Amino acid sequence: MYKLWMHARANIKKTKSVSATLVVMFLIAALLLNVGLLVAIRYGSFFGQLKEELAPADAYFALPQAVYTQQVQDYISQNEHVKKVQTNEALALGAEITQKGKKRSYTVLLQNMDEKREISKWKYVGEHRPATEMSVYVPDIFKAVGGYQLGDKMTLHYTDQTTGEKRQLTFTVQGYTEDIFFSSTDTGMMGFYLPQETYRQVADILQGPSYRMHLVHTRLDEVKSASAVEAGIRQTLGLDSSSLMAGDSDAMLIALDIELIELSRCMMATMIAAMMVLFALIIVVVCLLVVRFRIVNSIEDDLMKIGSLKAIGYTGRQIRLSLLIQYLLIAGLGSLLGIGASYGLLPSISMIFEQQSGLKWEQGFDVGISASALLVLLAVVVLVVVLATRRVNHLSPIRALRGESTVHKYRHNMLPLERAHGPLSVTLAGKSILQNIKQNIMVVMIMIAVTFAGAYGIIMYYNTAIDTKAFAEVPGMEITNVIAALNAKEDQSSTVAAIKDMEHVRLVQYLDEVKLEVDGTQVSSYVMGDYAGKQTRLVYEGRYPQKDGEIVLAGILADRIGKGVGDLVAVRWGDSEETFRVTGLSNGSSMGGLNTSIRTADMRRLNADFKPQILYIYLDTGTDSASFIERLNDTFDSQTLLSVTNFDKGLAEGMASYQNIVAAMGLAMLIITLAVVTLVLYFMISSSVIRQKRDLGVQKAIGFTTFQLMNQLSLTYVAPVAVGAAAGSLLGALYTNPMMSVAMRGVGIMKAGFLVDPLWVVAFGLGTVVFSYLLSLLTTWRIRKISAYALVTE
Amino acid sequence: MKNTVIKTERLCKYFGTGAQQQQVLKDLDIEIYQDDFTVIMGSSGAGKSTLLYALSGMDQPTSGQIHFFDTEIEQMDNDKLAIFRREHCGFVFQQMFLLDNMSILDNILAAGLLTGKDKRAIVTYAKELLGKVGLTEKIWRKFPAQLSGGENQRAAIVRALVNRPQVVFADEPTGALNSASGRAVLDVLTEVHQSGQSIIMVTHDLVSARRGNRILYIRDGVIGGVCELGKYVSGDRQRHDKLLSFLAEMGW
Repeated sequence: MYKLWMHARANIKKTKSVSATLVVMFLIAALLLNVGLLVAIRYGSFFGQLKEELAPADAYFALPQAVYTQQVQDYISQNEHVKKVQTNEALALGAEITQKGKKRSYTVLLQNMDEKREISKWKYVGEHRPATEMSVYVPDIFKAVGGYQLGDKMTLHYTDQTTGEKRQLTFTVQGYTEDIFFSSTDTGMMGFYLPQETYRQVADILQGPSYRMHLVHTRLDEVKSASAVEAGIRQTLGLDSSSLMAGDSDAMLIALDIELIELSRCMMATMIAAMMVLFALIIVVVCLLVVRFRIVNSIEDDLMKIGSLKAIGYTGRQIRLSLLIQYLLIAGLGSLLGIGASYGLLPSISMIFEQQSGLKWEQGFDVGISASALLVLLAVVVLVVVLATRRVNHLSPIRALRGESTVHKYRHNMLPLERAHGPLSVTLAGKSILQNIKQNIMVVMIMIAVTFAGAYGIIMYYNTAIDTKAFAEVPGMEITNVIAALNAKEDQSSTVAAIKDMEHVRLVQYLDEVKLEVDGTQVSSYVMGDYAGKQTRLVYEGRYPQKDGEIVLAGILADRIGKGVGDLVAVRWGDSEETFRVTGLSNGSSMGGLNTSIRTADMRRLNADFKPQILYIYLDTGTDSASFIERLNDTFDSQTLLSVTNFDKGLAEGMASYQNIVAAMGLAMLIITLAVVTLVLYFMISSSVIRQKRDLGVQKAIGFTTFQLMNQLSLTYVAPVAVGAAAGSLLGALYTNPMMSVAMRGVGIMKAGFLVDPLWVVAFGLGTVVFSYLLSLLTTWRIRKISAYALVTE
Repeated sequence: MKNTVIKTERLCKYFGTGAQQQQVLKDLDIEIYQDDFTVIMGSSGAGKSTLLYALSGMDQPTSGQIHFFDTEIEQMDNDKLAIFRREHCGFVFQQMFLLDNMSILDNILAAGLLTGKDKRAIVTYAKELLGKVGLTEKIWRKFPAQLSGGENQRAAIVRALVNRPQVVFADEPTGALNSASGRAVLDVLTEVHQSGQSIIMVTHDLVSARRGNRILYIRDGVIGGVCELGKYVSGDRQRHDKLLSFLAEMGW
């Protein structure tokens, strides 16, 4: 055994650069595999552990002071679905907070940290300081993204709801917190925790009743009952016609259940983990193909050595074992380094997730997962080595010593020079390609795999960094510039007409959101007069409603209630029920994919009092929404215009974290792709130069220049690279959306429509080929060292 | 008066460095003449192959000058030497060094097409040469591994001749062949020479050396002696004796 170990070590020493390349490839594969597995397996369970620790409610209902009536309290406490209730008082404040020099808008929920909580608890993250005057404990995301350090001043800029004056509240950040519901901008409100004294002080400043909020945390018989409870509250309050997006904050009910929260906060991690695991598997397959190539070549190269070993008494099994040891050492070293490096990378990945989810994921060394990743890699290496070395058993020592394995290797004279056209180097490269067809098929496969991943990466990057339209459509919102909530109690047709006539207004139309019940499931429903005017088309099958009694179901809802285009569904609002025909299925994660679209006329059949009040205002391209809003507020009074939302700003802020993550991921995939292409080509060409040293020497002797040989060898590899890159890019372009549809199905994107810019994909494919050619030339530059004289004298 | 093809002045070649340094060629001044079949002989390690490869531009001397007709080749870089070799030199090696992945005809055309001359003419000439050395069309289509050593060496000679070189350099062309194949190869070389081709051949084999008309004997890096044998005629006893006596004088 010791001798076999010595042989393996000697072989590694002899082929240092090739072995080092393999180590790097295994390092990358193990790194991606371990990180992917850790995120896929541990991030989900991390959220589960956090739920156990913080005991979140199954659902919470945020009720403004004005609607937190005794009737509502009684309804909730006596509801058959509600098992436990905990009510906390809070102050809700729409404020702007400066983060790294930029002002961002938040709905801040100021809460008394000294209030006792049995459910929906919170905890400190990292170091915290004792409370002093005007202390605040803020979600950890303000540290991760906003860069707030302990002791920093944080100022909340807000408009006083009573006087309309601009005011500010300044706190000292004394610690960072984490809770399930209020730690991420994705889920609406950011929970700030204030010491009791400070809370009272702030409550005195924020005098208006509209600041007062009651958070009713509930334990339910099952999470799905949340929508029934919400519907009951609405009915109790008579919030009949109120749109979910109504500007009347005094009467706005917010309800969120734990499943929606979990979906929102783990979505990105789940997607990225899926991408990483898939990408890691591609890289692993590439590594194994390269290992197989290396083994087959090394058997050819070391044929005489194998013959001499057999001649002095080594068995085929022993020789194979020494090869196995050799590759296990390489794979083991690379994998261990990769697994080690993955733990170094995890904090950065955790930080990326934290920007979106607000959850600080701290993952220590996981023996189980890392050992599994290592074992999987080594097991596949064993399999590849065992299969690739089978022929060693059949080699007779004499034949091996004579190098007979290569005799009659070439049977067909491909591309005879007598008949071939074109430059000699190209023809010779062509001959070589055809003669090594098996090897080149492998190169093609490798390139298909890596360029597919690269094209996917570039498409994702394009959609998040260059043209973000399709990415912005993921949540399923109608994309506009400004949203105005009009007072529905008065006729607003003249207001709408006046807004439409304002400078830089391209289009105005009502689009409200109401709560309905579809085949017994609580859903939110978009209501619009005429869907022909909809600017963001989300229907992926069928069409938007055009006639009476037509409805579009979100894909997830359609799956859940088992309905498709052409089917009938029962739509209920309060006591009225109507039958609708499904005319289309739509994308969109709004309400976790439980949403529909109906026409205003149909909503009026369900509720004769329904009045549209949410006006979507579309501005000319390049118009500044903020200045437009100022003009709007100057033109109309607060009795007409209940509230105005800067959709552009909200969208940009909301999408920023997702865009950063996906763009970073896309870019990382692109870089890794190029790194793998570099390693594979370097590896194969280096091996090739070593193997063909004799032939290259002969060619030099008869008058080939170094550049001719470099070009010839480079073309030999660039041709399969080009075929692979073309196929991989094409597959990437064709299958990115279907793949994303599968990955994002859980968040309501049933048919992803990310933009695939042919120019970018073609540029990527061409870039890969040019890069490969230049890299090949660089790698074959070593040919200059091959001396024709050395060939004949050696 | 013979034309000089190659002329060297104070040609030196060292191998190794420091204490390990060894001078293989020592201030050699030699001339090689056009239309000669020059044979370089000498004992093992005398420097005969080193001289051959220096003269052909395959290796660069440490110092001294090499005039190939009017061209000084010792200053050329590797690529210029490669182009020089393809245009002016042909090589026949002991190990043939044909490219395994090409048919015999392609091996020859790979060298012939390098010059960029008319392809049809090159193909025709290559086939003509192959015919002359006794290789049939059936053999041209085969790969080196499918042929005998003698057939491969004859193909290698055709490869050396295909670009109509000014000089053919042959390094022990019969060294790896049995006597029958070796004789056939020598017959080809003799015929080539008699058709006006200058040849420089390194050998330590008496039978091979007999084919030359001028013998340079190299001993410890210097020319020990030169023997003019005159035109080769098969069975010329007097010529044979002259060579033997020269070699005996050289201590062979």
